[in-house]
Amino acid sequence: MNTTPRGFNRFMLGLLGLFMLALGAGLVLLAVVPAAGRWWQSWAEPQVRSLGGFAARTHIATSAGSWVWLVVAAVFVAVVIVSVSWIANQGKGRANVLFVAPGSAEDDGASGKVVLGTAVAEQTLKAALLERTDLLGVSVSTYDFRGQASLRVRVLPRQGVAPQDVATDIRSLVDALDTLLGVEVPVLLSIGSGARTRFTRAERVR
Amino acid sequence: MKQAMSRVLRRETHSSRAPLSVIAAILLGLLAVYGLLESMLRVLGQPAWLIDPLTAAQRLAGLPAGISAMLLGATGALLLLVGLIFLSHALLPGRRARHVIADPRVAVVVDDEVIASALARRTRMAAGVTREQVMVVVSARTVQVNVRPTSGIMVDEDHIRASVEAELEAMALDPAPAVVVNLARTGVVGV
Repeated sequence: MNTTPRGFNRFMLGLLGLFMLALGAGLVLLAVVPAAGRWWQSWAEPQVRSLGGFAARTHIATSAGSWVWLVVAAVFVAVVIVSVSWIANQGKGRANVLFVAPGSAEDDGASGKVVLGTAVAEQTLKAALLERTDLLGVSVSTYDFRGQASLRVRVLPRQGVAPQDVATDIRSLVDALDTLLGVEVPVLLSIGSGARTRFTRAERVR
Repeated sequence: MKQAMSRVLRRETHSSRAPLSVIAAILLGLLAVYGLLESMLRVLGQPAWLIDPLTAAQRLAGLPAGISAMLLGATGALLLLVGLIFLSHALLPGRRARHVIADPRVAVVVDDEVIASALARRTRMAAGVTREQVMVVVSARTVQVNVRPTSGIMVDEDHIRASVEAELEAMALDPAPAVVVNLARTGVVGV
């Protein structure tokens, strides 16, 4: 539920994949079919020669190279910026404000606003869940999903614990949280397993 | 909120492709930084570090010459394979091994491993066998329950199926999987 740009990820991977497919197929063709090699040389060599001639004619200064290489460098800078921002956008979207209620003078005579931090909901839920012996791990985090703060509860139950029972219990905790806070926050419950659940013994008695 | 939650559930049950994206972005960035270095050296009129861009272009243009056909073909095949991996990551749905439990208030996703261990426990109690004799495999649309009975003791397949189905019904999974029970033809001695 973070704001990882999934569509963009797929688009970029598809683009790079197609590019590499085409490049690889071209190289294999050059290596295997002699006619393809002759065609490629007859097409590419004049192009490179004209590029070389153009670069030789467009020297910026006597000791420096052509501005063609400056354009190439600018393209590479753009690629670097795209790839850095692509990485930086993965897994973002944590929120730290759960709810804001602006007060007004005609409402209760006081202006100002009430801000609930996400730690309220996170720590309440976590404290309630840590008491249980059938859960080995609990983590609660808040994400900003489309302008709405949403809670993500990840629990790791012991082996053999029925997930629907965990879900029902957490549901009643969430209902209690709703009445405590006075607002209904969207909640995602993710019931999973990790290395710890795999190597500790199953709960035999409930 | 209803719509937002169904969107969250869709995101939770499908892979985000973040790890491969980070790898691809790092590779792309490194290549671009190298290209930037060589072209800037050329602009400043300095000697090239590894290869001058124009020489590289000439080498590329003359390609089947200057490199062994074996190496060229192998490089091409490697690029082809990596490109195929990237493209399949872009196009395949990328479902994660998770199911959704329907609930009006809380959006619930369960890893298939948790479902399998809960069903294995139920099977173990229904069949009266030990942990090691039961193996449950959960996939998107089927649940496969493999039981290896204790030698000399009959196990009731219908009873096992009924109790696993009852447990699945209580879970109310979406998509609802069908149950397949396999009893091993050989038994276990000494449990």
